[in-house]
Amino acid sequence: MSRTTLHEASADAGAGADLLRIVRINEEIKSVVGIAFRINIMALNAIFLAKRAGTTALGFGVLSNELRVFSQDLRTGMEALTGLVHACVAEVSRVLQDIRHTGLLRRAVADVERPGPAAVLARREAENAAHSAHLAELRKALQRALEDAFRLVELGSVLAKSAKIEAAYGQSFAGELSQVSGEFAGVVEEIRESLESLRRSAFFNPPREAGRAF
Amino acid sequence: MKTTKTIFQDGNHKWVAIVRDPQRPDYLIDTNEYLVTHGGQGLLLDPGGAEVFPAVFSALSSEFDPSALAGIFASHQDPDICSSLALWLEFNPDMRCYVSWLWSSFIPHFGGSAETFVALPDEGGDISLEGLMLRAVPAHYLHSSGNFHLYDRVARILFSGDVGAALLPPAEDGLFVEDFDRHIRHAEAFHKRWMGSNEAKRRWCERVSQLDIDLLCPQHGAIYQGADVQRFINWFDELQVGIAGA
Repeated sequence: MSRTTLHEASADAGAGADLLRIVRINEEIKSVVGIAFRINIMALNAIFLAKRAGTTALGFGVLSNELRVFSQDLRTGMEALTGLVHACVAEVSRVLQDIRHTGLLRRAVADVERPGPAAVLARREAENAAHSAHLAELRKALQRALEDAFRLVELGSVLAKSAKIEAAYGQSFAGELSQVSGEFAGVVEEIRESLESLRRSAFFNPPREAGRAF
Repeated sequence: MKTTKTIFQDGNHKWVAIVRDPQRPDYLIDTNEYLVTHGGQGLLLDPGGAEVFPAVFSALSSEFDPSALAGIFASHQDPDICSSLALWLEFNPDMRCYVSWLWSSFIPHFGGSAETFVALPDEGGDISLEGLMLRAVPAHYLHSSGNFHLYDRVARILFSGDVGAALLPPAEDGLFVEDFDRHIRHAEAFHKRWMGSNEAKRRWCERVSQLDIDLLCPQHGAIYQGADVQRFINWFDELQVGIAGA
């Protein structure tokens, strides 16, 4: 196998793996969106519970409301992440196509002595480089959006902990409020773990930009 | 790399067959591509699949400047016919692709833009190549439901797409049919299975019998010349097609 063909095969495998990774990221984001929806329902129930508890659960009510806002913010954040993931899928697919297309062009031009075909190949390679650069930008944007979501979840975690403390002042409702706040803490932790796994995705640490490897 | 063979030349009017790549992997069907040139421009007939593009391009470039290709004629929509379209367009984005109207919105999946495609009506029509008028001859259902062949009245050559195709063993893969009876055995199963309509076949035989043809050039196998052209038309006319084993 020639050196160029090896490079193409390696770039092809890299872009293929990228596509798989981005699909997995998308699946994880979908699960976070589902959890965010659950928090919204839980927060609504908690608000009703706090109203029933009256003055003893005023603080808990305020925190429940904040958790509801948090769930909405989280869903908005996840929508932004989903948009970026779709853009990444499109760009990774384009890079995959570039690799095959350019590989065939390179093989076609290799034995041709006319100057024109080499210029066409050079133009195509410049376009590939632009696609790779765009993919690199999208990776960074996705990573930044993920960090934003992570910070939001840290806030959710603080709200859940505060709700736990407030539950202790709920007198006869303390047991119920404590159970609800425990559930909040559980789901927020679930989201945090999901985002942690996304942060570790090899998609954010490519050995080199796939499109440049060929 | 494929080899090129000039099968007709009169001044700058030329037909070049691009054939037989010794490095072609066995899992890809062998294809013949044909380049028609006239007045400095070229028309490539059934340019082939993406996988054979390097071999076809290298061979074509040895004969002709690929940026001077004005168009591609696609007999039908199959991948071995024109899945290389996007690659050819790299060398001349203004190139036109002539194809049955039936496939003009399917083939763009291989590449090209709205401007690339010239949709041929069912009755066919003329294609001009720097003043040389080539005729798109209807061959619908042979085998594709929207199918054309290309006739050059001046060169007396008919490009016949899959009609006349033969799957030749390596020892018998000469460019021209040498022994019709021996050759046609390699064409029979192909025509019975791929050609879908006896009625369409009869119409085609009647239509092309009225043309003066010195060379009948299929997309697979060997070229029929001289008396073998009419011999083939007669053989095809008699053959019952549209037959599958199951």
